Amino acid sequence: MSDLALHIPTDVVNGPVSLAFALLAAVLVGVCVVAARRHLDDRLVPLAGLATAFVFAAQMLNFPVAAGVSGHLLGGALAAALLGPWLGALCVTVVVVIQALLFADGAVTALGLNVFNMALVSTFVGYGVLVIALKVLPRTRWGLGAAAFAAAVVSVVAASAGFVLQFWLGGEAVGQSFGAMAAAILGTHVLIGVGEGVITAGAVTAVALARPDLVHALRGTPLARPAALKETA
Amino acid sequence: MKTKGFLIAGVLVTLVLAGFVSLFASASPDGMESVLLTGCETEDGEITGGACALQAAGEHEIGGAFADYGVAFLDNEVLGASLAGILGSLFTLAAATGLFWLLARGRRAPADEGA
Repeated sequence: MSDLALHIPTDVVNGPVSLAFALLAAVLVGVCVVAARRHLDDRLVPLAGLATAFVFAAQMLNFPVAAGVSGHLLGGALAAALLGPWLGALCVTVVVVIQALLFADGAVTALGLNVFNMALVSTFVGYGVLVIALKVLPRTRWGLGAAAFAAAVVSVVAASAGFVLQFWLGGEAVGQSFGAMAAAILGTHVLIGVGEGVITAGAVTAVALARPDLVHALRGTPLARPAALKETA
Repeated sequence: MKTKGFLIAGVLVTLVLAGFVSLFASASPDGMESVLLTGCETEDGEITGGACALQAAGEHEIGGAFADYGVAFLDNEVLGASLAGILGSLFTLAAATGLFWLLARGRRAPADEGA
């Protein structure tokens, strides 16, 4: 139960900045639609639907990270690992839009801000880290798990940095300096990132053990292709 | 594991997380909110005094029957939270699958893109 859990609420970031990020997010989501469409075959559709529902459910699960502070999964790194960055970003976008429209979680006017941070920044940063990590780490379940963990940690901190940027542009620091607030946001999200990392690593390795062909990160990278044999697409 | 079995297992895990595990989730403010609350005193999630960035936040524009992951017309809070999670997950599953299905279909419709 998470009465308090919320994404960026109404009026914390001013109208012009919210609008600018809404336009930016709309353009980037459009790019994702075009790019995702290129690789989307019918077989992937139910899996992408399931991944989206899983991210929705997992975002409800606030875990404690410090006294009186919680965090929840964002899901960008997970979606990117399973579905690739384009389709992955669309999954998290669907989640954030549903939360804002149906569950009063995140303001409608802040939708662009929230989609930008949680769906776009987190997914693409997470995917970038994952691709790099998989080039360095061995292609075992532990290597994949470690790569997913690292990707998730960095993705969450990057998403929170997105909020810090938005708040710097269009928010008003009250009760503390902007610098102190930025440091606190980033620091807290390192801890949240560790939680995100554990969940992401667990989920990605679980899928990789059951169905390695369904883990995009194992197919997309140019190194060894242990899962490519079953692939027909 | 067959794809169908994998999908069914995934949906079941999702529903258990949303409908049951979510009841045990931390009710503390999340990382962003707790920082925005710095400077304010709070009681039961309501700001009672002080000065902090989150005071600028207004009410949600829509609210709605499922606001804050509850069900407005149910008196039982636990049941409401569980139901909101389950219905939300099923709705998300349906909406996302439908949208991605349309996207995959759209790919084949224009002849110039089929390869």
